[in-house]
Amino acid sequence: MSDVRWAYAINQWDTNIDSFVRKREHERAFKTASISGFSAVELTAASFGAWEPLGTPQQITDLYGSLEGFREVLSACALDAVSSYVYDPSVGFEVEMGRGPDPLNPESVGEITRTARWFADALRRLGGSVLVVRAAPSAWQTGPLSDEQIGVLADLWDTVGEAIAADGIALGLHVDFLSALRLGDGIHRLLAATDPAKVGLAIDTAEYAISGIDPVAFYRQYADRVVHVQLKDARATVDEAEASTPHAEQFIRTEGGARKILRWFYEPSDERALVDFEGFVGALAEHGYRGWIVVESDQSPHPAESTMVAGWYVQKVLRPIVEGARVSA
Amino acid sequence: MTTDRPPIKWSYMDHWRAQGPAGPYDQWQSKLAMKRFLQQVAAVGFDAIDTFDFRIWQIFEQYGSVANYQEFVQEQGLERIVNTFHGVYYSPDRYAPEVPATHPTIIEDFQHTLDMWSGIQLDNIIVMPGSRFFDEAGVSDDGLKHAADIWGKVGELTQQYGVNLTCHHEFYAGIRTRDQIDRFYSYADPRYVKFFVDTAQHCIADVDPVGVYEKHHERVTGFHFKDTRHKDTNDDYRMFPDAEVSATTTEKWFYEMGTAEGLVDFEAMMRSVRDHGYTGWISVEHDKADKLGGDYAESTAISRWYAKNVLDGIYNEKVTR
Repeated sequence: MSDVRWAYAINQWDTNIDSFVRKREHERAFKTASISGFSAVELTAASFGAWEPLGTPQQITDLYGSLEGFREVLSACALDAVSSYVYDPSVGFEVEMGRGPDPLNPESVGEITRTARWFADALRRLGGSVLVVRAAPSAWQTGPLSDEQIGVLADLWDTVGEAIAADGIALGLHVDFLSALRLGDGIHRLLAATDPAKVGLAIDTAEYAISGIDPVAFYRQYADRVVHVQLKDARATVDEAEASTPHAEQFIRTEGGARKILRWFYEPSDERALVDFEGFVGALAEHGYRGWIVVESDQSPHPAESTMVAGWYVQKVLRPIVEGARVSA
Repeated sequence: MTTDRPPIKWSYMDHWRAQGPAGPYDQWQSKLAMKRFLQQVAAVGFDAIDTFDFRIWQIFEQYGSVANYQEFVQEQGLERIVNTFHGVYYSPDRYAPEVPATHPTIIEDFQHTLDMWSGIQLDNIIVMPGSRFFDEAGVSDDGLKHAADIWGKVGELTQQYGVNLTCHHEFYAGIRTRDQIDRFYSYADPRYVKFFVDTAQHCIADVDPVGVYEKHHERVTGFHFKDTRHKDTNDDYRMFPDAEVSATTTEKWFYEMGTAEGLVDFEAMMRSVRDHGYTGWISVEHDKADKLGGDYAESTAISRWYAKNVLDGIYNEKVTR
């Protein structure tokens, strides 16, 4: 088996609390990902009880009988695994659409660690290997993070990383374009403050590109910390001031801010916009990256089309770069 | 255990709609739209596409020539264009297979059509062999004989271009029942008049697609593998202008193969195709897949998933005889 495995993030199918609930819808998405050349899917933690049946290990179990039963469904759809789960600590699972603990509160470590282990155990049983976490709250909520706040986050993620390592699951810190970590040198300071043996990095090409960070250069700088990759494209950048708009999730990411940008994220394709995918996967190959490459669009009016167009680009362009480099090495 | 026979190749019949920022569009509206369409078809493992020959004018305008268009198809990773469906208005005063007086016009039309497509090598040109008949009586026996006669002449012509003339029977068409189909082929010269089996169309018309294939398999030169969830039990075939879009009781007739609740037994179909020694291309089609909230892209992915994960295995099984 190649050291690099390709997965597709199916969050673009799950657009609301009462969509993407039927097993038939799941199976159609899984088959679409499989026949487009992907061997696994990435799931996103979500809280709306039985109406978000892939949102937690409990909901998967409730709908499919057990995690193992769910894995059999994946296998019947010609998929090998759930590559990864994306978990934002601000999501609470006690009530529908609940709010979770504040990662900047030192007293949250225990609860976040328990939740992370819940997902990590599920990943182990579903053939996955990475828990991707939203590493910090939004920029508008905190402003630039102080050294003390960075220290709290570092302690949290060191603890979580060590805990889920017991399940054989790696921790990948995810930074999105609205994250407080995109302000100033936040990401660099958090990486410096965490233990590389416990805390890895999940690079999301579009989130970095929108933040004005070159994902290729960033990867090269931190190649030894990267445990997970998410490939998606973007067409516009957001500066620190715009990212700090109060309730930016609604006013910027959903409504598009003053520019009325209604779609930020695009599937990787040969119509590339901000992200140099060929340069990025070339750098992965050069540094001997091993692990999942998750392709996604996050937002797409047409999930199947996005998956298939990206599948073409992976099969015809990106995978040959990765595999060609490996052969020549 | 598998056979030494080459695997089936899968072609996609190019029905498509997608939603753009300005609303629905199809792949012929721009080269970018065509590129994305072809990439999606190639991504899920189709080997080629089929098309309609009424696209010829868009091909000339956008690509310069049929050969140029096929090169564009190949640049996206597909092998070629395999078949074209001949679209023409049938009218008893001008162009109708059952009316001998119109036969010179039909011959002239095909001469012209084949000249226009001669820049590439097609396998089949697909026709509806009969006109529409909206009354219960349907086409007369003499009409079937006249139709068989003209398609024999057309087939002789198309073979000079290395292309088969092959007949496709819509559930609303003039030659739609098993009896009409059997009589038509009994009159038609098997050297020149071939048969193109559309699994869903036959099923809707209450014709068993496996049975009609097995009866006429020696002249079968291709398939549309598509599914349906409904038979025409209300004489919808008589609806004007086209029951596929105007039937009041059934908004959507066609589904991709692999759909739940499909009426076509594709596994039986594939076993029969295998056992009768068919080799070469099978076309997949799901026209109007976007009705009732459907999505062409997803239907195309699901159908190809089914071909790869279910049907290819059946075809490649070695059968002890």
